[in-house]
Amino acid sequence: MSDTLFVNSTELGATAGDWIALLKPRVMSLVVFTGAIGLVIAPQHMNPVLALTAILCIAVGAGASGAINMWYDRDIDALMKRTASRPVPAGRIEPGSALAFGVVLAVCSVLLMAVAANLVAAAVLAVSIAFYVFVYTMWLKRLTPQNIVIGGAAGAFPAVIGWAAAAGDITALPLLLFAIVFFWTPPHFWALSLYASQDYARAGVPMLPVVKGARHTRVCVAVYTLILLPVTLAPYWFGLTGRIYAAAALVLGVAFAYYSWKVLADEQDATGKSLTGDVPARAAFKFSILYLFLLFGACAVDRLI
Amino acid sequence: MKPNAPRFENENWSPEMVAEFKRRQRGRNLALLAVLGGFCVLIYAVAVVKLHEYGQMW
Repeated sequence: MSDTLFVNSTELGATAGDWIALLKPRVMSLVVFTGAIGLVIAPQHMNPVLALTAILCIAVGAGASGAINMWYDRDIDALMKRTASRPVPAGRIEPGSALAFGVVLAVCSVLLMAVAANLVAAAVLAVSIAFYVFVYTMWLKRLTPQNIVIGGAAGAFPAVIGWAAAAGDITALPLLLFAIVFFWTPPHFWALSLYASQDYARAGVPMLPVVKGARHTRVCVAVYTLILLPVTLAPYWFGLTGRIYAAAALVLGVAFAYYSWKVLADEQDATGKSLTGDVPARAAFKFSILYLFLLFGACAVDRLI
Repeated sequence: MKPNAPRFENENWSPEMVAEFKRRQRGRNLALLAVLGGFCVLIYAVAVVKLHEYGQMW
């Protein structure tokens, strides 16, 4: 490819990969997984074709939220290193096209969910998309350092949607799975924000380390990880899962607490800024993803055995 | 560029840029074809399953 071609790459328009990038595929993988677990652990059997369609609807709905988020946040995305190369701020996709893409996919995913599964699942899917777009993206994200705490609910919906798609109702177990993801989100994101805080500060996003400082954020990561432990054990205490899940929740919870303690005890200056390149925070962030996969996987294994 | 003219007729573009533009356009078109085809198959499969569930087909 010539230099001229490289320089004018944005003028040449988007690739198919750029449109896929609008859907935030990495976030989508976690959403699909938790949605699939919700569907699998529901007591009712669902036809495999309809089950796959329901999971696809969850994935597309989440992707649509991501596309609308990229449309709305294009100004701050352009200021952050981590997001500056996204298709909209980089100029490869027109903002209006990204918005239209997101809205069409959101509507299609909700309608298809209503046809393939039921109205309860479709309604919760619609609420989750609206919550992510209006409550998190447009309202909380630029307003308060608690944006992740409340906005985390958006990522907690998929397990409930999966359950509702199969069962047609919402009972205690999917609500507890919702609570688990809700309390898992803050330490997950705050671990990331500890080493991406300069990006957020440049964009004026009031993430916790930007507003309250790194030291306060480290304490919050540790506190939320400790709160998460009893929440993950609640399904066992209520008799909704067995010992396999309880053992997994306990071991994983202790491991997550250990990682958060390492974040708290990281070598730091007077303001709490890491002197080790935030190695513990990076490790905690990576582990938090593995944690959720293993915890939900254990829940599915426990319910199916 | 003339109004309504295809973008690859932009006289400032080098032959490599025109080729890259066409490659990207072809990629987008094929991806859209795959998505639309998959959507048709999906709707057909859901319709068959739903008809079967309600006992209206067999």
